Amino acid sequence: MIKEFTKGIIKENPIFVIMLGLCPTLGVSTQVINSLGMGAGVIFVLTGSNIFISLLKNFIPENVRIPAYVVVIASFVTIVQMVMQAAAPSLYDSLGVYVPLIVVNCIILGRAEAFANKNTVLASILDALGMGLGFTLSLLLVSLIREVLAAGTITLFPMGGFDGVIEVPGLVNAPVRIIGLASGALLVVGYLKALIDLKQKSPEKAGCHL
Amino acid sequence: MKEIAAIGARLTIICAAAALVLGVVNHFTAPRIAFLQEEKVKNALKQIAPEGEIGEARPLDDPVVLSYYPVVLNGETVSYIVELKGQGYGGDLQILAGYRRDGELTAAVLMANGETPGLGKNAEKAGYMDKFIGTGGERPVPVKKTQLLPQEAEGVSGSTVTFGGIARALSAGAEEVKLLEDLR
Repeated sequence: MIKEFTKGIIKENPIFVIMLGLCPTLGVSTQVINSLGMGAGVIFVLTGSNIFISLLKNFIPENVRIPAYVVVIASFVTIVQMVMQAAAPSLYDSLGVYVPLIVVNCIILGRAEAFANKNTVLASILDALGMGLGFTLSLLLVSLIREVLAAGTITLFPMGGFDGVIEVPGLVNAPVRIIGLASGALLVVGYLKALIDLKQKSPEKAGCHL
Repeated sequence: MKEIAAIGARLTIICAAAALVLGVVNHFTAPRIAFLQEEKVKNALKQIAPEGEIGEARPLDDPVVLSYYPVVLNGETVSYIVELKGQGYGGDLQILAGYRRDGELTAAVLMANGETPGLGKNAEKAGYMDKFIGTGGERPVPVKKTQLLPQEAEGVSGSTVTFGGIARALSAGAEEVKLLEDLR
């Protein structure tokens, strides 16, 4: 059963192996704080939707299952949006348009279709937590690289006297701005994917001929 | 036919349950959200006009300049705070801007917006509006990147649409303030 949890972190990592959820990855990974917020939102929605879709798998008619999944997922996203707006308005403001976009995050619909509608509630929860954690960790890695290179900072939550921004000496005054743009996001994700493929597969399978 | 009705009924039940849950969550969160919005506007108004008494909002019939608040000090209107609507990369930009009576911009705050985090969203940061302060009166509001200093232009690279949206709205606000003064 524990395999259902651990598979999403590395072996079936949603971003670098299954290649799902790339749009939000490219969009929000400009700052570390955005990745933390987006990751938490995706874990919540993924877990909630997996639980309900697993519970309702015998009730949802086979030929309209996708619209039914979308209703469940959209409801959870709207709940996240309303609660975040009321309880953490600064995080809601910083995530901007990306919170509603969780609805169309392929990981969530993908896990509902590929896993939750065929498995038990417990297995679906573990799958959601593993996939959500794998997504969050990957997103954090991409955003850490992008923010450090593109802005020379690491932005976290402000706490007490700490304003939440750590400046990286050297880079803060001479950042590589292209990494902060969409093309920079594609470069970072592409290189990380190549590195992971190189590590996981033999060079031939990974398409590398060194 | 019977099968289609059964499928429709099940989908209706799922939708009704979702609507019920959303209604309950909205019932508990809506007052808090409204309160936070109100506080945000109050704080922004105070930030723009720290001195003087801010009057009631007066709506205008304009798609960009939505309303204005007169700022009164010792019984005299000394400045205006204008609510503006610009067009950004992610949709509408709500801006509150303070102007002297001659149309010179004294302060501006970007409020609700859907700009990209790390790019257009940077317009919310302190210091972003500095490039516009002091313009609108004798000097025109810079609406093109070429009208900015090199370091200011570099600061808006990657978010030119946001910059243009804010600049054009601020420029329209300055013109409206001049018009209000002419009507006095």
